[in-house]
Amino acid sequence: MHKKLFALFLFILLAGSVFAQVTLTANADKTVLTLDDELTLTVRVTGVKGNVTMPQLPSLPAFNVYSREVEQSSINRNTTLTFRYTMLPRFVGQTIIGPITFHYQGSTYKTEPISVRIYRNGSPAKPSDSSHTNTDLAPTQQPDPNLPPLESALASQAYALGTQPFFMVAAVSNRSPYVNQEITLAIRFYYSQNFYDAPYQKPTVSNIFMEDASSSEGTQTIRGTLFRYQEQRYRLMGAAPGPATIGAATVTYHVGSSPLSALDRLFGGSAVSEERSASSAPIPLQIRPLPGGQPSSFYGAVGTGYTFRAEAQPQQVEAGEAVNWTATVYGATNLKPTKELIFPNVEGFKNYPAASASGSVSGNALNYKTFKTVLVPSASGIYTLPAIEWSFFNPATARYQTLKTQPVSITVTPSTREADGYDFSASHPTGSGFQTLNTDVRYLKTTYAPEPGWLSQLAGWKIINAILLGLLAGCVLFASVGRKSLVKKKTFATAKNQLKKAASVNDVAEATASYLHQKFHINTGSLPLKDIAASLKKCGVRPATVESFSLLWQRLDAARFAPADSAMQSAMDLSEQAMDVLSLIEEETKS
Amino acid sequence: MKRIFLMGILLLSLIRVSSAQPALSQGESLYRQGKFSQALSLYEQELKNHPNDPFLYYNIGNCYFKMGSKGLAVANYYRAFKRAPRDLDIRHNLSLTRAACGERLVPSGVPESIHRLYFALSVTELTGLLFVLFWICCLLGCFWVLKRKGFPVLITLLGLWICVAGWWYTRIQWENQTLAVIASPVAEIRSGPGTNFPASASITQGHLLTIQDSKDTWYEVIVKSQGLKGWVEKNAVEKI
Repeated sequence: MHKKLFALFLFILLAGSVFAQVTLTANADKTVLTLDDELTLTVRVTGVKGNVTMPQLPSLPAFNVYSREVEQSSINRNTTLTFRYTMLPRFVGQTIIGPITFHYQGSTYKTEPISVRIYRNGSPAKPSDSSHTNTDLAPTQQPDPNLPPLESALASQAYALGTQPFFMVAAVSNRSPYVNQEITLAIRFYYSQNFYDAPYQKPTVSNIFMEDASSSEGTQTIRGTLFRYQEQRYRLMGAAPGPATIGAATVTYHVGSSPLSALDRLFGGSAVSEERSASSAPIPLQIRPLPGGQPSSFYGAVGTGYTFRAEAQPQQVEAGEAVNWTATVYGATNLKPTKELIFPNVEGFKNYPAASASGSVSGNALNYKTFKTVLVPSASGIYTLPAIEWSFFNPATARYQTLKTQPVSITVTPSTREADGYDFSASHPTGSGFQTLNTDVRYLKTTYAPEPGWLSQLAGWKIINAILLGLLAGCVLFASVGRKSLVKKKTFATAKNQLKKAASVNDVAEATASYLHQKFHINTGSLPLKDIAASLKKCGVRPATVESFSLLWQRLDAARFAPADSAMQSAMDLSEQAMDVLSLIEEETKS
Repeated sequence: MKRIFLMGILLLSLIRVSSAQPALSQGESLYRQGKFSQALSLYEQELKNHPNDPFLYYNIGNCYFKMGSKGLAVANYYRAFKRAPRDLDIRHNLSLTRAACGERLVPSGVPESIHRLYFALSVTELTGLLFVLFWICCLLGCFWVLKRKGFPVLITLLGLWICVAGWWYTRIQWENQTLAVIASPVAEIRSGPGTNFPASASITQGHLLTIQDSKDTWYEVIVKSQGLKGWVEKNAVEKI
């Protein structure tokens, strides 16, 4: 009995260990999906105990895994772990989710591969209508002649390099563009094998402005092998005439025997991988200068297919209100580098230029640049905003072309806001019966202003100022200098008259002394004869004349103070002698 | 011969009157019909022939006022006022327009009669008066120098001449300052000559400014009524 019970217990234990066997399953919620769908991959591990490692996902280049959930349940100490991965498809085409591996207690468990078909957005029901057909339907090693030149150039290079599993090609739409002419650079990274962790380094450029344009993906069959490629496009514009260079673009990718997904690396794990890189060839360009004869309305645009239009809003305003006058140019090329439009002046308007704005519409297919100015009319009336010209250089014809907008009509009405800051309202009636109803400017003047008055006209007679000032100066000069000179000149004549009329010796002596005093400031009354003679000599009288004067003066003194000796001397004689002496003195001192 | 000469002068003056008056009549006719912009064009055209006529400036100011452009109206009334300060219509319209812009013609605290007296003569008339007084002073000075008579009269006249010279000097200073008026509906006073400088104030049209300096497209101005100093765009103001 005990033996039977022991055998039963052993059986149960063995059976338990058998039932606790680890199982690993994986399934996807869908196997046909579009690029817009997401796929949920469920990995279930049953029959494990204790700590376990995470299942290891295969390399999934066709998907981005962005979410992971873990669910755990235990029954009789047996644990079931459910891992759910949410993934987004990246490429169109057939792809395989490889075996998922799980390591537990030295054993490795693997799931079956899952095949998934990814279609382009909105066309899952048409497996044949996928984007990769553009090239993988071309079995020949020459590009489709119907391809555009840029795509054809890329495809040609790809055919030449298709012996390698990874390579890059680059091509431009024009190798000798004009300054400011927009060209396209396309760079493709081709791969026929899985890879991971592949950072991209854009090319460096010189003498070129570069701007990202778009990115896309596709496939191309080369020598019977399906290659996938990722394409990046750029818009290029030559900055200045001369050589320009587009450097190499590089992708550094990792390949390995056991590549890890990002999630695997996040949770640990190791793999054997190898870092490699692929680069495109540098492309030299020659930028051509724009020809001369640029019109004044040329602002730097180079290209074709531009349209230009202008509008004014609002078209009916009051005087003093703002009108927005805008001009917009549309075109396929980048318009940002073009210069600001100069609006024409409009008579009667104040002009306030505003900043321009540029952008694109229709999914970046059409660029635009809008120029704006604010006009403020100062007076009422009907005005016409003139046509605006905008020129561009057409590289196809190598000529400048000018676009012209239509003139815009603006109606400006008188301002109704005249009361700002002033009360035009009617005042209350006054007791006198007078009431101010409104206040307005006084009426026009219907004649010209009268001629300026006499005072205004006198303001022009500046010469009289000078004349009268001169007269005043003359008077002052005369009063200070001329008057004395005149007195001196009159002295001799006065002395002569006095001598003629002299009735006595004293009269003669007085006339002579007065002459000397007025003429030479010699005071004969207080000076001896010797000093008088010396003073006369100083005044320029000759010695002989001085001698004559001394003799005359002695005779006068004798006649006045010694009458006995002077009896013979008559006043007449002395007067004549004095006149002769004074005449000599006058002559000698005149010069 | 004399008669022919006089007839010629009379005919010439008649031709002048007949060619000038229709322009003013036509302007008045348009003004009465409310066609202010057309009347304005006519008066501005006429101003080329009579560049100093205060009445033409007055009429232009009226047209601008009627069209709602008070700033330009103030500018033209000021031009008229400078040339004919005694004209009551010009004074009234200038005073009214400045009041409509929130400013006064007569500074606060100054009696109206003093202001009228101060502007009783134009600068040219004042210059003429100054000259006449100077001439009389010179003649009296000569008389006094030669005859030593009339000194009290000379001193009195010299004192009067100095007063008139002071009056004339202040008026010349007033005339020589570069005045301007805000012509756009609103202008911004900035702290520097460029839109990169912040705006310290906005000012409506019709306000009087004194221009201090100029740089590129900017004026440095003083707004005396507000005690402001800053920079304003040239195209926002009208120089008087």
